[in-house]
Amino acid sequence: MERADNFTGDWDYSTLPANVRLGRDCFLERKGSFDRYRSERAPGLILGDRVRLYSFTDLNVEPGGTLSIGDDSIVVGAIFMCAQKITIGKRVIISYNVTIADSDFHPTDPAARKLDAIANSPFGDKGLRPYIETSPVEIGDDVWVGIGAIILKGVTIGAGARIGAGAVITHEVPQGAYYVGNPARAVKDDQPARKDDQSE
Amino acid sequence: MKDRYLSHDWFPAPIPSNVEFGERCWIYSSYAFLHFRSRQRVGLRMGHDVGVYIGGMFEVGPEGAVEVGDFTALVGPIINTNGTVKIGNYVFIAHEVVIADHFAAVPPDNTVPGWPAGSIVVGDNTWIGARAILLSGARIGEGAIVGAGAVVDFEVEPFTVVAGSPAKVVRRLR
Repeated sequence: MERADNFTGDWDYSTLPANVRLGRDCFLERKGSFDRYRSERAPGLILGDRVRLYSFTDLNVEPGGTLSIGDDSIVVGAIFMCAQKITIGKRVIISYNVTIADSDFHPTDPAARKLDAIANSPFGDKGLRPYIETSPVEIGDDVWVGIGAIILKGVTIGAGARIGAGAVITHEVPQGAYYVGNPARAVKDDQPARKDDQSE
Repeated sequence: MKDRYLSHDWFPAPIPSNVEFGERCWIYSSYAFLHFRSRQRVGLRMGHDVGVYIGGMFEVGPEGAVEVGDFTALVGPIINTNGTVKIGNYVFIAHEVVIADHFAAVPPDNTVPGWPAGSIVVGDNTWIGARAILLSGARIGEGAIVGAGAVVDFEVEPFTVVAGSPAKVVRRLR
C-alpha cells in the first residue's frame, strides 16, 4: 500500500484498510474518514491520482460496496453511504455536508421495517435483515456538488452539471444542467438560491 | 508573540497569531483553525463572551477576514471565505450551518479559478437555524431568523423570518 502516511498527525489513530487502491499524490486528511468503512470488495475504494479527501468526509461503505473517485477530485465533506456502487468522475468538487447514498438502507414497507429494526438492534441478528433495494449512483466528470446537497439512490448526474447548495436530488440530472432546491429543479443561471423563485 | 494554546485542548496546534478574542470567550479546540490560512493582520476578531462549539471551523483563505461581535454563540458553523464575513452581537448560529463565498466551496488550500471572494453580513440579534446555508451576498438584517436548512444569498430584511430552499419570507416579527 502506498502513501498511508499522508495524514494530519499522530492524534489520528485509525488505520487505513488494505482494500483501498490509491492513485498518486492523494491527500487523505483524516484516517477517521475510514471509521465506518467495512467493504469486503477488492478493491472497496478506488481513488484516482491527486484526489483530496478532507476531514469531514465519511466513507461509510458496506461489505458489498465499491466507491470510486476519479483523478483530481476534491471531496470536502461527503458522507458516502455505499451499499453497492458509487462512482465519482474526474475533477469533481463535492463541498461541505453533502450526502451521497446508493440505498435507503431500510425498507419502505412498515412490516418489513419492523423486522429490520429488530435485526438491526445492538444485539440483533443482522443476518435477518430484510431485502433492501440498492441502485448505483454515478456522478460525471467536472460536476460540482454544492454545500449540503443530498444525492439519493439510482441518480446519474451528467458531466459538467451543477448541484446547488441544499438541493435534494432523486432523479437524473442531464449534462451541464443546474439544479437547485428541494425538490430539485433546473434553473437557467448559476444562482444557487434565487429570489425570482420566491414569488411561488 | 508566544504561541497561545487552549488549556483544555486535545489538538496539538496553537491558536493562529492573527486571531484576536475578547474576555470570557470559549473555543472547543484549535482544530477550528485546521484550515485557517488568513494572512490578514487580523484574520479573525471575536468580541467578548463568544462561544465556538464542536464542529465550528474557520476555513479562511489568505485574503479572508472574519469578524464576530459580543455574546454570540457559534454552535458549529463552517465559515469558508477568502473575503469578509461579519457576524454581529447576540447572534445564535446553530449546528452544521455553512457560511461560504461559493455554493461549492472548498478549503482554502485549493485554488479553483473564477471564484471571487465573497461578502456576507449576519446582523445583530439574528438566529440562523441548523443546516442553513448562507452564501455570498447574504445580508441578514437585525433580529431576523433564517430557518433550518434554508439557503440564502440575498438581503433579508430586519425582523423577518425566511425559510426553505430556495428561501422565502414566511413571517414578520414586527
